[in-house]
Amino acid sequence: MLKKDLLELCLLQLLSQGDKYGYEVLTPLRSAFPDTQESAIYALLRGLGKENLTEWYMAPGGGGPDRKYYKLTSAGRARLEALRGDWRNMRDAIASFGVE
Amino acid sequence: MKQQKPLTREQYLKKFSRAVRWRLPPQESEEAISDYRELIFQEERDPERLVEELGEPVQAAHLLTDVKTYRRWLKIFVVLAFGLFLQVRWVWTAWPAVRFWGWDWGVFGEGWRGVAVMVAGLITSLYWFRRHGQKSGGAPKGLWLSCAAVLLFAAGTMILLWYVSSPSFLEYYRTVMEVAHRVPWQIKLLRELMMEGGVAYTLAALAGLVLARCYDRRWLALYSLALTAATLCVFVVFSLNSIDLTYAQAFEMQTYLFTRIIPIGAVGLVGTGVALC
Repeated sequence: MLKKDLLELCLLQLLSQGDKYGYEVLTPLRSAFPDTQESAIYALLRGLGKENLTEWYMAPGGGGPDRKYYKLTSAGRARLEALRGDWRNMRDAIASFGVE
Repeated sequence: MKQQKPLTREQYLKKFSRAVRWRLPPQESEEAISDYRELIFQEERDPERLVEELGEPVQAAHLLTDVKTYRRWLKIFVVLAFGLFLQVRWVWTAWPAVRFWGWDWGVFGEGWRGVAVMVAGLITSLYWFRRHGQKSGGAPKGLWLSCAAVLLFAAGTMILLWYVSSPSFLEYYRTVMEVAHRVPWQIKLLRELMMEGGVAYTLAALAGLVLARCYDRRWLALYSLALTAATLCVFVVFSLNSIDLTYAQAFEMQTYLFTRIIPIGAVGLVGTGVALC
């Protein structure tokens, strides 16, 4: 699994917990991956939309203008499951070397 | 060392918009700009750390670019821009040789090179933008005005050319040159309109091309119209180079020029019409 796949896994996992607007998605991921800029995460989010793994809708934001909310599609959930499987395999493989 | 002032939210969005509009098709770029506007103007966002958190605006636009499609566009743009450069170069290098004396066989028929470049430019640009360009809503602001300006300027030049290439004026010109050795002001004006106008048309065509890429493909109408006007300048200048007033046939110049200018102009106008659809 590459770092991009890990980012994708975290992003999809985040969206699986509920619909979120852009800033809500980008900031926790940047905190978890400090050497990654938000523009790279946004590009990834956009790429997921193009692959129909996510979709978006506009909804009122807290008192301000409408915000763009992202949500997972069924294809996105399937992709999340596949990435979770990859992650478990990799974690077990690394653990077999004694890495904790 | 002087420390650089951080970008304001507005400056960041402006830089990002410019970069993304050039790299992505209009619909995609508008979507990305709207998303970035939302991200940048978040209340929680610290404007001092915009670049640190989001990255450089151009880099952010680069990350959204489909490199293969973008490179293809750059190739098309370079080819079309080179065609425009050739038109300017030909007008500027050919005019100084215009004397109306001593037929220059070397340039006879060379005006058709400009026409070939125009046809290639029209076909390539229309093909590309009809496949990859986008239009939204009504005609873009300023399109009609800029097209009308190019059309009026070109029509004015052609009216002056009609007058200058008439047998009566050519007879007058020959007399003035033989007796007073001076160039009539009408010829000097035509020279300015051809040379400076050629550059202006080329710049307008280039602007049309960039605007068609960044905003609405109907801006290609400005490119088509200005390219046609620049081509007519090239064709006329090379044709004038071939005039020798010591030959009686030279006095048929008006007919010679306009039986060719009209169909070339018509091709350009058809291209402009197609670009507007």
